[in-house]
Amino acid sequence: MSSDPILDVDTLVIRYRAGLFAARPKPAVNGASFRLEKGETLGIVGESGSGKTSLLRAILRLLPVESGSIRLGGQDWLALKGEALRQHRQRIGVVSQNPFLSLSPRLTIEDILAEPMLAAGARPGSAMRDRIAGLLSDCGLPADFLGRRARELSGGQAQRVAIARALALEPGLLILDEPTSALDVSVQAQILNLLSDLKESRSLSILFVTHNLKVVAHISDTLLVMRRGDVIEFGRTEDVIHAPAQAYTRELLSFGRK
Amino acid sequence: MPLLDIRNLSVSIPTPDGDVHAVRAVSLEIERGEIHGVIGESGCGKTMTGMAVLGLVPKGARIAADRFHFDGEDLSDHAGRLRGRRIGLISQDPAAALNPVLSIARQMDDVIRAHRSLPRKARRAEAAALLAATGLPDPEKVLKSYPHQLSGGMQQRVVIAQALATGADFLIADEPTTALDVSVGAQVLDLLRRLVAERGLTVLMITHDMDVIAEACDRATVLYAGRSVETGPVAGVLKQPGHPYTRALLAALPDAAPPGARLAAIDGSIPAPRSVITGCAFAARCPQAMPLCSAEPPPERRRDAHRWLCHLPEDAA
Repeated sequence: MSSDPILDVDTLVIRYRAGLFAARPKPAVNGASFRLEKGETLGIVGESGSGKTSLLRAILRLLPVESGSIRLGGQDWLALKGEALRQHRQRIGVVSQNPFLSLSPRLTIEDILAEPMLAAGARPGSAMRDRIAGLLSDCGLPADFLGRRARELSGGQAQRVAIARALALEPGLLILDEPTSALDVSVQAQILNLLSDLKESRSLSILFVTHNLKVVAHISDTLLVMRRGDVIEFGRTEDVIHAPAQAYTRELLSFGRK
Repeated sequence: MPLLDIRNLSVSIPTPDGDVHAVRAVSLEIERGEIHGVIGESGCGKTMTGMAVLGLVPKGARIAADRFHFDGEDLSDHAGRLRGRRIGLISQDPAAALNPVLSIARQMDDVIRAHRSLPRKARRAEAAALLAATGLPDPEKVLKSYPHQLSGGMQQRVVIAQALATGADFLIADEPTTALDVSVGAQVLDLLRRLVAERGLTVLMITHDMDVIAEACDRATVLYAGRSVETGPVAGVLKQPGHPYTRALLAALPDAAPPGARLAAIDGSIPAPRSVITGCAFAARCPQAMPLCSAEPPPERRRDAHRWLCHLPEDAA
C-alpha cells in the first residue's frame, strides 16, 4: 500500500442552514477524518441522525461542505467542477438500500445496465451487449434476466442488478448505503459473499454504510462509528470489535448476545 | 392450558391463478406470561398467522385449524370480539399506526373512551399514567404533542400505551423494533419484558431478527413456507437447533463466520406460495435431504420441551 489512499477525508464539517438569519445549528458532521486504503472495505456504522448519510452525500458531491477536505485517489475531490466532476464521478459506483426504488420499473434489466454506459458515451452494439452480459454473470445472475423488469425479481436479485449497474463503468470505489437492510438473512449472506468476490476480482475499494454493526464487522477491514455527527471510533475492525473505546459501540456489539 | 393454542392452522387466499397458501400448518402454544417469538423470512406466513389471531385476514381467505383457541374461546368465531379487548397489536411502523393530524392526548383518549366509561379528567389522568408506564419521561408534554414531534422510539411507546389502554393482556408485536435504531429497539424490548413481568402480559413477537429473539423471548417457533418447523425454549432453538432450516438460518448470520470468511448462504428459494408440498418444505434446499424427505411429511422429533419436524433422527441434529 505505497500509493495514496483511494479516499482521504480530513476534518470534514457539514452543516445545514435553517435560514439566512437562523442561529447556526450543530453540524450534521462534526470534523470527520478517516482514510480508505485501496482494495479495502471501510464500514461506517451509526444510528439515524448520526450523520452517516450526510457524510456519504458529501463524498458523492451531492451536498456542499462547510470546511475540511476530501481527496479521491490523491486528487482534491472538492475542487472539481462541471464536466471534470461529471467525468470523475464515474470513479464511484453507488448502491442504495431499496433496489425497487433505485431501478426503473419501466426499463428492462438490459436497459438499466446500458444506461450508465450510454451516458458515458459508449455506443450501443454487440460489444456493449457483451459487457452487460459479463456484468450480469459477475453478479451471479443468469443471462435470461436481460429481458426482465425489476418488478419480476426478488429483493436479492434486484439488489444484484443494482450492484451490476454500479459497476458498469468500472469504478474503483463502490459506495453501498444499507445494501442488505431490506433483505432476509439468507439473502443478505448471498449479497455479502458476492461483495467479497467482487472486491477480489475487481480490486474494488468499498465504503459500506449500515446501522448493523455485525454486518460491517464481518466484511470490513476498517470500521468507523458515528454518533450525533461525531466520529466516535475509527480503526482496524478487529481492534474496534475486541477493544471498543466507547460504551455505545459496546452496546451495539452486545445486542442479541444474551 | 396455553393461553393461545393453535394446531395446524392454515390460511388460504383464493385467487384467479389458484389458492395462495399463506399459512399451511402452523402450531403455536403460548403460555401466560411468556414472550414467544415467531421467526421466519419474508413469505413464511408469520404476519398472516398474527393477522388470523386478530381476525384480520383478507376478505375471502379461508381459515382452517384442528384447534384455534384463545383462553378457551374459539378464535374462528370470536377473533373480532377479542381483538381490542383481550388481544392488542403493536405494528412495525409506529408512525403509520398513529394519526398524524391528531394530538397524542386525543388518540389516547379515543382508545380509553372506547373501552371504559370514565369521566374526562379521569381519562386524561389514565392516559398520562399509561404513557408513564411505558417509560416516557414527561407524559404531559407527550400528550400535548403530535406524532411528528416524537422520535420513533417515543412513538412506539405511545402505540404500546394504546395497546395497554384497551386492557388487552395478549399483545401481538409484529416486528416492533425493525423500524428503530438498534439501541432504541433494545430499550423497547426491555420495556416489553418489564410490562410482561409487571402486568402479567403475554406477547407474541413476530420478527425476522435472531438477535431480537435472543434478547427478548422465552420460547420461539420457527416458520418455514407457512409451517411451524421447530419450537422450544430460546436457548435450545438458537444454541442447539434441531431443524436443518434453523441451522442454515443461524449459519447465514454475519457473526456466525470468522470475519472476511464466506457466509453460509442458503441455496435456492422458498417454495412458491401456490405450490402443493407433499414432504418436508425445506427438502429441496436441505444439505442433508434424503429421498424420503420430499416424499413424506416429516415426523416430530423432540428433546425435552424442544420439538421439530424432520426425517433425520434426533441425534443427527
